[in-house]
Amino acid sequence: MRYPKLLCFLTAFLVSTASVVSATELNIYSHRQPFLINPFLEAFTEKTGIKTNVVYSTKGLAQRLKAEGENSPADVILTVDIGRLYIYQDMQLLAPIVSDKMKANIPAHLRSADNTWFGLSKRSRIIVTAKDRVEVGAIKDIEDLADPRWAGKICVRPGSHVYNRALLASIIAAHGLEKAEAWATGLVANLARRPQGNDRAQVKAIYEGQCDIAIINNYYFGKLKYAEDTNQQKWAQALNLVFPNQGADGRGAHVNISGGGVALHSKNKAAAVQLLEFLTDAEAQTLYSEINFEYPANPKVPHTAELQSWGRFVEDQLPILRIAELSRDAQKIIDRVGW
Amino acid sequence: MQAARRSFDIWSASVFTIALILFAPVISLIALSFGDSDGLWAHLFDTVLARYILTTLALMVGVSVVTLVFGVTTAWIVAAFKFRFSRVLDMIILLPIACPAYLVAYAYTDFFEYAGPVQGMLRNLFGWQSPRDYYFPEIRSLGGAVFVLSSVLYPYVYLLARTAFRQIPASFYEVSSIYDRNAFWTISLPLARPAIVAGLALVGMEVVSDFGTVEFFSLQTLTLGIFNVWIGMNNITAAAQIAIFTFIFIIFLLFTELYSRSQKRFNDTSSRQRNQQSKLLTGAPALVCICLCLVPVLFGFFIPTGILLWNVLQSIDVLVFADVFEVFQNTLLVSCLGAGIIMLISVLVACTSQMQGGKILRLAGNLSATGYAFPGTMLAIGVLVCVGLFDRLMVAVMSPFGVFHLSGTLVVLLFAYLVRFQAVGYGAVVSGLTKISPNVILCSRTLGMNAQNTMRRVTVPLIRNSIIAGGVLAFVDIMKELPMTLLLRPFDFETLATYSYQYAHDELMEQASLPALLIVLVGLIPVIFLNRMLRNTS
Repeated sequence: MRYPKLLCFLTAFLVSTASVVSATELNIYSHRQPFLINPFLEAFTEKTGIKTNVVYSTKGLAQRLKAEGENSPADVILTVDIGRLYIYQDMQLLAPIVSDKMKANIPAHLRSADNTWFGLSKRSRIIVTAKDRVEVGAIKDIEDLADPRWAGKICVRPGSHVYNRALLASIIAAHGLEKAEAWATGLVANLARRPQGNDRAQVKAIYEGQCDIAIINNYYFGKLKYAEDTNQQKWAQALNLVFPNQGADGRGAHVNISGGGVALHSKNKAAAVQLLEFLTDAEAQTLYSEINFEYPANPKVPHTAELQSWGRFVEDQLPILRIAELSRDAQKIIDRVGW
Repeated sequence: MQAARRSFDIWSASVFTIALILFAPVISLIALSFGDSDGLWAHLFDTVLARYILTTLALMVGVSVVTLVFGVTTAWIVAAFKFRFSRVLDMIILLPIACPAYLVAYAYTDFFEYAGPVQGMLRNLFGWQSPRDYYFPEIRSLGGAVFVLSSVLYPYVYLLARTAFRQIPASFYEVSSIYDRNAFWTISLPLARPAIVAGLALVGMEVVSDFGTVEFFSLQTLTLGIFNVWIGMNNITAAAQIAIFTFIFIIFLLFTELYSRSQKRFNDTSSRQRNQQSKLLTGAPALVCICLCLVPVLFGFFIPTGILLWNVLQSIDVLVFADVFEVFQNTLLVSCLGAGIIMLISVLVACTSQMQGGKILRLAGNLSATGYAFPGTMLAIGVLVCVGLFDRLMVAVMSPFGVFHLSGTLVVLLFAYLVRFQAVGYGAVVSGLTKISPNVILCSRTLGMNAQNTMRRVTVPLIRNSIIAGGVLAFVDIMKELPMTLLLRPFDFETLATYSYQYAHDELMEQASLPALLIVLVGLIPVIFLNRMLRNTS
């Protein structure tokens, strides 16, 4: 080899990019975008002096953790959607968390029975309608969207997206497989266009008149209402919000969670628990609402004025794990009805 | 002879080792696919599988036809005629190769969809109120995907077809004109066919493994199906099985490509032959040529980058330039390192297996270049499994002496780039080697050089241009790469692609546009350089 020094230097450089395991740093695998979680992590670092490092990916982090095994540098997992948390639990990648504080902060239906993962924030899947084209009260329940009356009026993202899969799972839990499939068939028959785009795109389509009704996660409304782009603010102004299934005998609106856990082979478990505890406390819980318009998972933390102004609502009390367990059945229905 | 024999063995042993290491992630995926698929195939067969396959095939056929038309037309015009601006056009036609397909898809969607500025303007102009008042083609559709993918992929066909057209000896055309035949249909096209097919095979592989565009357009292709099964049904086994199924299909394409490349050996030009002189065009015919050449570039480069630039200018105050600059440095670092490693390994593997090896060694060389055929995220999982095993082995063997882990380091990412884009470098080097007469090598050996010295002093200088060409393509490919980088990168490590993605994923085009534009602009520099070099040699 003609350049032994160069080779040595390169090797040293490459290996040095390995995260150094030290007591004052936490390594995080995140399914949430950095620009959403950074404010939380900065607040945590300021409070505790513990530095945080993040890898963000939408897919495959559970496989990465599994392949790395006991040599994994990861300490904390942060994800959105119960389905992803369940995959970590199912692959036995999480360590049980011993924390009375977290148990006190997070109600039982939003955490796993073995305390491996905890919900950190809640988001509701809601219906939005065009202010000028759909009268208030015309749609009350999620089931109404299968009514042929709304043929050609509804926009929604593809069924295979986690949010819709979870929604359908909640309907399976409420009505059983057959009725859920009938509902999905009815919904698909009512679509104004082939399912496409994300929730933001559905609101845009309502504003432009392509459809009258859409299903979105509640926080998109807040993001649009306070968007830096004034056009997007107009999209939000065109909407009425409907929290579905609020009737006297209604089961409440479907909610999903973002959540987190501690990696099984973390070398910094105490600090990892410290971060998760911080995330369930009042300061961070309020931050979830302020930054991303999500509802606090900690029931002792009051909703912000902004969230209260969107309306009070009853949540579906289905244990959140049930959603994940029904996910596969939901995907099968989605495949069959072509959502 | 004795010495030569022994060094040959060392070299081929290293090629076998490299091929094995590069093929290991694929083996991991194959191993993964042997698990329990939980009866999912019956469900897939009954419901979505036919749709996945048909959509994938339709997309491939559509993109092939359009890239063929775009690529061959432009290549023929540039090779056969000389007119005002033809030398500039020659370079401009290549530009879309620097644009990642998924970003072009994002840009066009914003631009052409119902809520976008084009339709908005039309509605204002004609007073239409709702989508029922008029017809406008839907961008998020199969047709839209064909349009987007063809617009950025045709340069692969163009690049190879142009070189082939230029290498056809003038005497062939003279014969065709004696018999009063059309030179394009009877001479150029048949002789350039292996090169064109090679370009199409690359396009086909890009299409099949594309995830960004089809996800954004919600097209149910096999690649999207892999993710529905994996994430939606929590079944990575069935997902790996679909990936292997797709892989076999793409391998078929890859061998088509290698086969057609090997044919090229027979249409080599010797130094005595003249190449066809370009015909000089002026006036209207020249204008028609310019317009024809500009159409695909407009779609693949000027309009999408124009949209990105517009977005950047619109939101200039939102952007944080300092952040982007650090990200930019990271991107350059991994792209340069990655392309360098790929070319080093490609030269070693290709020269040894093609010049000295038998069939088995060639097969090993070809197998080392199959990573291109997997969707990035699936390949990344294969890489993770291998690196995980390596780390465990390390702990088991080395623990008395001190241990370091590869997991979470840049090494993993560079290894993944090597596995995926080895095909690009390897293909370039192999095609360079086929142009060297075996006599040159034999001559060097007769004069007393051993195999290594022949490789260093004769072979490598002769294929220098192919090496640079492969390196440039690998550089651009790594810069554009998203799914593997996203999953495999070290902590707090962003490239332009991942940085752009975190915003684009949320359909925040304003924030996503600056890094996206930088990917394109930085990609342009090596492409322009490459083109200048190729022209000087031809």
